[in-house]
Amino acid sequence: MAELFGPGDLVQASRIDPPHHTRLPRYARGATGTVIERQGRYPLPDARFWQLPAEPEPEPVYTVIFSARELFGDGDHTVTLDLWESYLRPAVTEGWR
Amino acid sequence: MSADHAGPATALAARVRQLEALLEDRGLVEARKLDRALEAFLSGASPANGARLVARSWLDAEFRARLLADANATLPELGLSMGGALAEQRLKVIQNTEDQHNVIVCTLCSCYPLALLGPSPTWYKSPAYRSRVVRDPRRVLHEFGFMLDPAVKINVWDANAESRYMVLPRRPVDTGNLDEEALAALVTRDGLIGVAPV
Amino acid sequence: MSRINDVGGMQGFGPVPSLGRGAGEPTFHADWEAHVFVINQALLGGGVYNLDEFRDALERIPPQEYLASSYYESWLRAITVLLAEKGVLTEEEMAGG
Repeated sequence: MAELFGPGDLVQASRIDPPHHTRLPRYARGATGTVIERQGRYPLPDARFWQLPAEPEPEPVYTVIFSARELFGDGDHTVTLDLWESYLRPAVTEGWR
Repeated sequence: MSADHAGPATALAARVRQLEALLEDRGLVEARKLDRALEAFLSGASPANGARLVARSWLDAEFRARLLADANATLPELGLSMGGALAEQRLKVIQNTEDQHNVIVCTLCSCYPLALLGPSPTWYKSPAYRSRVVRDPRRVLHEFGFMLDPAVKINVWDANAESRYMVLPRRPVDTGNLDEEALAALVTRDGLIGVAPV
Repeated sequence: MSRINDVGGMQGFGPVPSLGRGAGEPTFHADWEAHVFVINQALLGGGVYNLDEFRDALERIPPQEYLASSYYESWLRAITVLLAEKGVLTEEEMAGG
């Protein structure tokens, strides 16, 4: 299955508050950012934690950049996060800049 | 001697010895292999490795370009690798420029490019650093005595997945006469994390 | 449910500790820490548990204890919890009973 996103795409992080291990930090939930690059494919940690008989299928991971304003409401810096495709959906509008 | 009378550290040491003995008994660990693993870790992982990459990049623009484009493929040129005891991790080297400064963190735990920077310092693993550097990186840098020019933007790289990050600091001025070894000696682990200029 | 390890953006932790600034901090503050490190590496390498399970066990440490424990103390706790949950060893045995 082809990657959903590529460099330059606007993406929004999931708002889900999972009852299990995940690698999407709370501070990025619901935030809109821009994909900088594709990192390759890795199994989703949320699924890997459940230790199913087979390793979960690797899925794309992206480097996504967010403005501090978008994440926290203020600040002039940016934060990049490495996000699995399952944590992302296409963004409708740009985030705060 | 009863562990009850000893301090917490001794109690912990006793628990670890007990654990190791039980695991050895079950055939899950072997004392000699553990010793070798420790030896390999302590001798292999060091910020001198990262420093060599930086020095070479300062002197060789094409090496620098290769390192920035595909760090994993470029590391072997200096006899280095990200492959530790577990699977090789993806390395991303990010360069500091006139306009942008980079700093790395793992807010969720303590992920760190051990092979190139050596063991991580306690402060890097602390909730204080992990919580604050994404929120107010400039102030955290100030705490390290690093007064970054206000015109320079900061990007914080949160290593929350399988990639590991290393900063490529800017070459200090007035170093034109230094050879590669001398240049590498200027590079600190804190510079490779981004809480120091170099 | 957001866990105590997910500290990005949280307030109240105070200044960054000075422990380890500059060079000179020993890799391990005590022998037992080094042993915890390599034991974990061996158990991961041997497939007794995977890295996400290990992280999950760390994250499940009750917040007060997570914050009060030293780094490798948390690791030790996570390892013992996992080994007990997987039936490899019992809590009793590990406690020295």
